Amino acid sequence: MASGQVPSGCFSILYFAAASTFTSKASEFLPAPLDARSLFTTLEERYPGITAKVLSSCAVTVNLEYVDMDANADDGGDVSCVIKEGDEVAIIPPVSSG
Amino acid sequence: MSTSEPPSYAANIPSDPVTKTTSTVHVELTPDTLSTDAATRFVRSPSAGATVLFIGTTRDSFNDLPVSSLSYTSYTPLAISTLYAIATCMLEKHSLAKIAIVHKLGECPIGEESIVIAVSAPHRQAAWRAGEEALEETKKRAEIWKLERFEGGEGVWRANRDGAAGVKVDEGEEG
Repeated sequence: MASGQVPSGCFSILYFAAASTFTSKASEFLPAPLDARSLFTTLEERYPGITAKVLSSCAVTVNLEYVDMDANADDGGDVSCVIKEGDEVAIIPPVSSG
Repeated sequence: MSTSEPPSYAANIPSDPVTKTTSTVHVELTPDTLSTDAATRFVRSPSAGATVLFIGTTRDSFNDLPVSSLSYTSYTPLAISTLYAIATCMLEKHSLAKIAIVHKLGECPIGEESIVIAVSAPHRQAAWRAGEEALEETKKRAEIWKLERFEGGEGVWRANRDGAAGVKVDEGEEG
């Protein structure tokens, strides 16, 4: 969407609303592959404080499909989601249309 | 304190309307002024005895704080897909003739239309119910975000789900 050509070895990540404000970006490229469970940790390293202020209330999509970020190996959730090169990931804060 | 959107913000606003339309469903995200006439015309049908039109307009206050301006951004491809899913669900669930959901993107002057929903059905009960449910589902699910700027400059990303004050724009690390 905002990204055009994704550089090789990368995925694109889109930031909306509060996520865009916090990162001061609409989008960027990050190294792929990345286990979806590591996404928030990766973002916290780049943007200290973002988890508590923004990500904790956000959903995540990969290629326009929502992924379950709360899933982990213990409850047999969506543990196999790996973000691949060329994927489009988006951080979805609580919505406010209308 | 930064009170304007980041420069990249405008990149999320398409310059032309984005639509998905069939013979019975029309969903649209548009930077243009909303047309209640166009939505009403779309849902007109000889099988419908009732048309309900909902017009959402932007308020000049939130919890008594004066709002000076509002703008909407969206994850457009996902929001269109969500609006279409809501519309087709309403069509089937309430046996509608037609349904249109149109939402504004970008700056929306106070008092102007931000969302228009039109539904037509054989009878009025289904039309009333579907109109209300379509609006509630849209507010709950569509990937659209409202930025309210208050007089004095502070900006807040609103969140529908809890009615809370939302996230202040100046809370970003570089904000």
